[in-house]
Amino acid sequence: MQTSGNMKWLWLAIGAVVMLALPQLVTSSFAIDIFIRILLFSFIGVAWNLMGGYAKQLSLGHAAYFGLGAYTSTIMQVNYGISPWIGMIAGGVVAMLASLPIGWLCFRLRGPYFTIATIATAQVLMLIFLKFRDFAWGAEGTTIPNLGSAPLMMQFEEKSSYYYVVLGLLIVGLWITHQIEKSWIGYYLVAIGEDEDAAEAIGVNAPKIKRDIYMISAFLTALAGTFYTQYIYFIDPATAFSFSVSIEAALVSIVGGIGTLWGPVIGTVLLETTSALLQSWLGSSVGGIQLTVYSLILMAVILWRPTGLIGFATDVYHRYVRRKPARA
Amino acid sequence: MWETLAQAVINGLLIGGIYALVSIGVTLIFGVVKIVNFAQGEFVMIGMYISFFLATQFGIDPLVSLVVSMPVLFLAGVLIQHFLIRRVLGPNDMPQIFLTFALSLLLLNLSLMLFSANYRTVHTSYSDEAWHIGGLYIPVAKLIAFAVAMALSGLLWVFLHTTDLGRAMRAASQNRDVAMLMGINPNRVFAVAFGTALALAGAAGSLLMPFYSAYPFVGQVFVLMAFVAVVMGTLGNVMGALVASLMMGVAESLGIQFVGADSGLIVVFALLLLTLAFRPSGLGAKRGR
Repeated sequence: MQTSGNMKWLWLAIGAVVMLALPQLVTSSFAIDIFIRILLFSFIGVAWNLMGGYAKQLSLGHAAYFGLGAYTSTIMQVNYGISPWIGMIAGGVVAMLASLPIGWLCFRLRGPYFTIATIATAQVLMLIFLKFRDFAWGAEGTTIPNLGSAPLMMQFEEKSSYYYVVLGLLIVGLWITHQIEKSWIGYYLVAIGEDEDAAEAIGVNAPKIKRDIYMISAFLTALAGTFYTQYIYFIDPATAFSFSVSIEAALVSIVGGIGTLWGPVIGTVLLETTSALLQSWLGSSVGGIQLTVYSLILMAVILWRPTGLIGFATDVYHRYVRRKPARA
Repeated sequence: MWETLAQAVINGLLIGGIYALVSIGVTLIFGVVKIVNFAQGEFVMIGMYISFFLATQFGIDPLVSLVVSMPVLFLAGVLIQHFLIRRVLGPNDMPQIFLTFALSLLLLNLSLMLFSANYRTVHTSYSDEAWHIGGLYIPVAKLIAFAVAMALSGLLWVFLHTTDLGRAMRAASQNRDVAMLMGINPNRVFAVAFGTALALAGAAGSLLMPFYSAYPFVGQVFVLMAFVAVVMGTLGNVMGALVASLMMGVAESLGIQFVGADSGLIVVFALLLLTLAFRPSGLGAKRGR
């Protein structure tokens, strides 16, 4: 959007104030829970979008990194008493390292088969953690010991504190995306996404750039995994490596606007709000309704607005509010 | 020891026949229409529910209901190709991947809403029957499923190699642009390919019903296996998919027998990762280009 510099800062400042004040204004725990989900999945979507949106490497296996982050910090905390704040960074590093061999394998494939290979790697990790009974509790999983109010162990009595933690994560994710977007790496990523062979032909080192961005994306996704485990006080392979995490990471970005800074955030707001409304209307009695609605939204976006809600909003803006000069 | 091994191989081959029907469908769509159908497993699921309801409502044997599930799914495939897939064909991967993926999510969760997550089984007269040959145990229902699956694969091969439409499909899969220049109508060929693939998935569903439970997530088991087989057998190669599916079945069965009951999938994925590492273009690929 072509807003002038000052206007942009004004909007950001208003946004920041609203976001900081929100948990003080709306104190219902149900609402804060929804806000936390929105921020968390926005953050995961932002991490996915770096790889999937800009470079069009459509992964459906980001649960691999979510789970690795969750398990690294939990194993360090439960078995060795190390703070999840440290564990979170450690989990990010583990995910980064894991992304190297996974990327080495999956990047051999392009398009849909890259997607399938990423699904397979997340599944393999889940199966492996089901097998690790000695230090990772196998299929039963484990609960995180509740220490009451222990900010140094990432445990808070107030839900709003979790809100601020995940808000911080999202801001970091958006800032990193913004930095990448406006640097030469951002243009290289878009070039790879448009046509990888052509990008390589003009001298873009595609394998290296994909590898580096995949590492950043994995690192950020792992942070989300640690946060989520701390928030729900529980971990098992089925939740940590859940396919639905991989799905939602991609979905929110596509629905909001793939390869845009704010796309994942807007997509998450729409999807999570829809899901919360459905739940309050129908209760959680009807299994499958949430994903049925998600998939219909996804189909509608793909068939009618492949640029997502952001693309739609930009079109409307230019058509009715400020006419854009015709493109050359 | 040898008997256990032989038994595991037989079990693997028998279920591999079903995997073959699913993966031939995936590879056919990939070869001709150039998209990956993430929803292929859900059509197996639909085939199973069709057979289940025909069996419970009208007492029709699941193997007989093949004559219903296959045409119904063929028609569904033609309609899906015509109204959905056709709109996203082009150079851009994203809409293609996520359209069939959304279709998969939709069908899966709709069936969860309509049929609940309960396991549905159909008991037939031959469900528990088995032949004992030497020390080996061969369940009749699985043997029938395998035989019919192989027969259908054979019919498909004959169709692809002897009929005009089949030849047109192979031509379109080898070089779409040249095929169109030769006067082949791509929309018709795509619709038939998609329909045929779904009919095969429906057949797999009906054949499974005498010895396998239907539930909304059942397709996921088969589609993962099919994807692995299709990558291993070289994308778009029908014969490669068939052979790789039988191998997957055997590998999975050996994994279950010798590594542990929950290790079948690990063995299969390990094979996929090894293939990607050493022969990324698949086992059926001609060397060089």
